[in-house]
Amino acid sequence: MTQYIVRRLIHAVFIVWGCATLVFFMIRLIPGDPVLQMLGPEYTPEAAEALRHKLGLDQPIYVQYLKWFSSVLRGDLGDSIATGETVVGAIKTGFPKTLSITVLSFLIALAIALPAGIVAALKRNSLIDYLVSVLAFAGVSMPGFWFGIILIILFAVQLRWLPAVGYASLTKEGFWPWLSHLLLPSLAVGTGYAAILMRFVRAGLLEVLGMDYVRTARAKGLAEWTVIARHALRNSLIPVVTVAGIQLALLLSGAVVIETVFSIRGLGRILVGAIFDKDYPIVQGVILLIAVIFVMANLIVDIIYTFLDPRIRYG
Amino acid sequence: MKRFDWRVLSGPRVSRRTLMQMALATGAVGFAQWLSACAGGGATPTAAPAAGATPQAVPATPSGATPTAAATPAGEARRGGTLRLGFGIGQILTLDPAQVTQGIVAGELVSNIFSSLVQFDKDLGLIPDLAETWEVNEDGTEYTFHLRDGLKFHNGDPLLAQDFIYTYERTTNPDFASPHANKLNLITSITAPDELTLVIKLSEPYAPFLATACSRGPGRALTPISKRAIEEMGDQQFGLTPVGCGPFMVVPESVEVGKGFRMVAFEDWYGGRPLLDEIIVQIIPEPSSRISALEAGDVDMLDIVPASGVEQLKANDRITLVEAPGTNWIGLTMNYKRPPWDNVDARMAVSKAINRQEFIDKALFGLAVPSIGAIAPAFGWVYVPPEQWGENPQGYNLEEAKALAEKSGIRGTSVKILSSAQDPRPEEVLRTMLQEIGLDVQIEQLQDAAYNERWKAGDYDMNINGSVVDADPDDGHWNFFHSKGPWNTYGYNNPKVDELLEGTRKTNNQDERRQMWHEIQRILQRDVAYAFLYHTPDRTAFYTYVKGYVAIPEMRYLETVWLEK
Repeated sequence: MTQYIVRRLIHAVFIVWGCATLVFFMIRLIPGDPVLQMLGPEYTPEAAEALRHKLGLDQPIYVQYLKWFSSVLRGDLGDSIATGETVVGAIKTGFPKTLSITVLSFLIALAIALPAGIVAALKRNSLIDYLVSVLAFAGVSMPGFWFGIILIILFAVQLRWLPAVGYASLTKEGFWPWLSHLLLPSLAVGTGYAAILMRFVRAGLLEVLGMDYVRTARAKGLAEWTVIARHALRNSLIPVVTVAGIQLALLLSGAVVIETVFSIRGLGRILVGAIFDKDYPIVQGVILLIAVIFVMANLIVDIIYTFLDPRIRYG
Repeated sequence: MKRFDWRVLSGPRVSRRTLMQMALATGAVGFAQWLSACAGGGATPTAAPAAGATPQAVPATPSGATPTAAATPAGEARRGGTLRLGFGIGQILTLDPAQVTQGIVAGELVSNIFSSLVQFDKDLGLIPDLAETWEVNEDGTEYTFHLRDGLKFHNGDPLLAQDFIYTYERTTNPDFASPHANKLNLITSITAPDELTLVIKLSEPYAPFLATACSRGPGRALTPISKRAIEEMGDQQFGLTPVGCGPFMVVPESVEVGKGFRMVAFEDWYGGRPLLDEIIVQIIPEPSSRISALEAGDVDMLDIVPASGVEQLKANDRITLVEAPGTNWIGLTMNYKRPPWDNVDARMAVSKAINRQEFIDKALFGLAVPSIGAIAPAFGWVYVPPEQWGENPQGYNLEEAKALAEKSGIRGTSVKILSSAQDPRPEEVLRTMLQEIGLDVQIEQLQDAAYNERWKAGDYDMNINGSVVDADPDDGHWNFFHSKGPWNTYGYNNPKVDELLEGTRKTNNQDERRQMWHEIQRILQRDVAYAFLYHTPDRTAFYTYVKGYVAIPEMRYLETVWLEK
């Protein structure tokens, strides 16, 4: 197992390096000159030249690449060319927000999806199953930004229970301000996510419930709840974990739309803003981080498999 | 040409009238227009009578030097409190005045962090800011400013005449690449005979100099910078956490790019401590979220009200909406360099196919004024509303449009509208309308940087653009319609228009000039230089407990604001 993890981590280094390199060159292929972007429509060629030189963008692209790469190895991701903040600084301010939304929405999704999925599977083809399925469909189909706006109008504008936009730091401003700012965006993300998970829980459980070992367990006279919790559910979770892992990684790389609606500058908004501004260092830094997140999420999912199903072994 | 006595521009106060007369007399017509526009545009509160209180409050000033005009019923204004300002922008790129290219950041944020030599009053006259008085010599080439005694930067350093020289050198340093360096082109020398006197010499007289180079807000190029702060933190960090000399100072720890920052009252501001303790600038890029944030009470004020929320906010009696006529125009460009758009019939067919009012209703929530030219409604002395203008050859007429489309053979042509809008609603509406005359319209959406490059290079079929508010709306004609205009990237060239545009800069007879502008407008309509579409007003909104706001077009000077709660 350890050997397997080490091997995967070595692979990961190459994958991340490949992503970063690809992005480095691809972002430069997108039309639009960052210098002109910064100077605005009234720029003069002299000012553009001076700025290009200052940012090192007048050097050959391979020189820029080598310079960037060697600083990355030293842990320096450079400075934003649009705003001057360090890339590490931008990530440090953005990542906690994205992480907070991800964790909270994941918890909300689990809290909805597990019970609902189980009930739907056990009461298959009953009214409650149909109801859950309809709600799941609605949840999947509802665009997050729309649901987010509805939540704002209801809970912030009408009821005035929760703030409409923004983010409060957990460490600086305390638990309730943090939570109150996060509830609505997490709910908006979490319900859509719950809908997807719930369908996997239901399908997985249904499949397993028909298996021989479940019948055996029942025949042994085990309580129905034990059969479901110990034998059926655990085995039905493999596809759920796969989907959850990918979704989690997606969320961690920033829920751009939700971050925009709720004016939270997480990784997603930082990245999209940087792409618009042709802010190369930020784009490179954030993508690097996202590549790491994806690789790690996949690794963790693979490890979780071994706990869920002892037959899965890596050697 | 008559000789002018430029000494009238000397201060402690120059009325808008004087500025305008001088501007007109010396051919700086655009500048005069702007002044006149802004005068006509005296902001009209549209809700809640309580907000009619224009310049209600002025800080209680120990020095007695009240920066903002108009006396106040004393005892009304209250000190203290935090104003939460919802700010509609993706991210603030920099707060360094010499580098700011985002207009609303310059007029609404930087102007609260930095004072300049002079500032505007609500009638757009010039009144003292850091300079207590100033003189201009007879031929308009030498400005002598007398600074207030005891001025300070936020870091406690004294602010002296030498600091302006340092600022001048910094802004004009080619390596620094300031986009505003060109506003200092005419300066031949800048000297400080003593600590409180600044002498600036120009190579030729230029009426808008005080406004474009020395004013609080627009005068970014000469807004004084603390040398020590630059040396301590460097240019890049200074853009994030500037050390200014205005009524509010940035709290460095609070600055988070893309989230906003906090500003606190500067105790040592020459005008006395501002009334508010603190302003929290919160960035809310998404328009509908901005409106919700105001209605939910997350913020007390919005810098600019998105069109989509105007009706909603008007209906809210706890909120005051302040609206001033716009100084802008927007139209549809068709690229003369790309056939068939070199053919006036083809362009006319397009223009006549656009129902302006319907376009405004569908694309802009009905919150704009149909346009028949590049003269904005705020320019009262020359603007003529569509219904009084008489015949506008560009006006909507679908039958004629179809006939012209047939004649010019554009039916079935495909055309791309280049757009940098994130929400290309106007383009979508145009697409539907132009289908009526058989055009196959596609929308090519690009990011700003790519859009600007293509636009500059004249690489497009059509796009929607125009002149946004500026310190000099003469740009709005000259830049777009003069054959050598910098923003004339679509190849319009009419010698008669060139001649008239040059003429408007030379004459000082108002009637004559009005006729010339109208003549220009007639030609532009006939040529379909642009298919003119609409003008938008400038809107801000706040809760009725926000008092003392002085509406100065395009600015948000906040030192007079206080909270009644």
